[in-house]
Amino acid sequence: MQNQSSKSIGSRVLNLLASNQPWLTLIGRLILGGVLLTAGALKVGKPQLSAMSVRAYELLPTDIANFFGYVLPWFEVALGLLLIIGAGVKVCAVLGGATMLIFIFGISQAWARGLNIDCGCFSAGGVVEPGETNYLSSIIRNIGLTVVAIYLYRFPKGRFGLDK
Amino acid sequence: MAVSNSSSDKGTRNLVIGMVVFIVLIGVIFSFISNRSSTTAMVPASVSAEDGYGIVINPTATPTVDIYLDYQCVVCKNFEIINGGYINEIAAQNKAKVVFHTMSFLGAESVIAANAAACAADEGKFLEMNLALFQNQPTSHDSGMWAGDFMKRLGNSIGLNSATFEKCVAEGDYIDWTRNVAQASAAADVNSTPTVKINGKEIDRNTEYMDPVKFRAALAAGGVK
Repeated sequence: MQNQSSKSIGSRVLNLLASNQPWLTLIGRLILGGVLLTAGALKVGKPQLSAMSVRAYELLPTDIANFFGYVLPWFEVALGLLLIIGAGVKVCAVLGGATMLIFIFGISQAWARGLNIDCGCFSAGGVVEPGETNYLSSIIRNIGLTVVAIYLYRFPKGRFGLDK
Repeated sequence: MAVSNSSSDKGTRNLVIGMVVFIVLIGVIFSFISNRSSTTAMVPASVSAEDGYGIVINPTATPTVDIYLDYQCVVCKNFEIINGGYINEIAAQNKAKVVFHTMSFLGAESVIAANAAACAADEGKFLEMNLALFQNQPTSHDSGMWAGDFMKRLGNSIGLNSATFEKCVAEGDYIDWTRNVAQASAAADVNSTPTVKINGKEIDRNTEYMDPVKFRAALAAGGVK
């Protein structure tokens, strides 16, 4: 009896999710797209700072880090715009999710190696004073966004999108 | 209509994707071009390309102390309050070659300030202008304060009244040079300001920057007598 009732609640939740999938996809697009667009837009005007953020991870050779520092903000703007408009959602979800995984890796290794850096996710970046890092919250945020990206990959078609 | 509804939808979608990608590519190219170093930039007399386009004081002294800063950086201002006096003493007494790298990643007013510092360097008053800029640092980045004739008035307040100086700050003679400094500092893998290096080796960020005693000890260990 108990089991049956909880099962029916579970399946009702699933039904509710399924019947609202186009709206959930829209919400997911706005969340992932909104974060990417904001993060990118805050950095496009400050490419030197963005390059500094990438260098501070101490993962890439300086020249390559500087190159990515210039390209990354614009890449985020493009993904953000396309996700919000709803054009090419599936591909953008893959690229956005992969970007988040790379960020999670980068932040984790910086944390593990004891670097003191700002993640450079939004505007600021580079080396900071010890104790001013916020690795955990950045990683949790990026895991959440990865989940959204996976959902969008599975259900790319939603409300108010150009993808038909 | 010859075109079916769904294929015209697809055309619109592809057009939108194409436009976004195009605009972003233009943006990337613009970022690269507007920040690359300029081989034709006017450089202040005391600047040496071999020293990362930094402003060099005591070019023949040893050891070499490199200081990377941004005039809008608050920690740099605190660093100047704590260690500026000692650095100026080293410079005045020829105890080291001191190279100031005036970076400008924090915004347009960092560029204006770096230009003004370079203009002052040409008049032999770099250290005075360096201090005056930090003393007059706005409380937020690109606040609008470091604009108009502010740099002229700031220069006047420390005795920089020549027509050359006033033209230099008004016309931004060394604006292009600030990009060379930025590119050289990026290539030198400087990831924070202030950054202090002695003979190319950074002092300990965790302990030696903000403590005047430890800062002196670090410089002494690097050969500053």
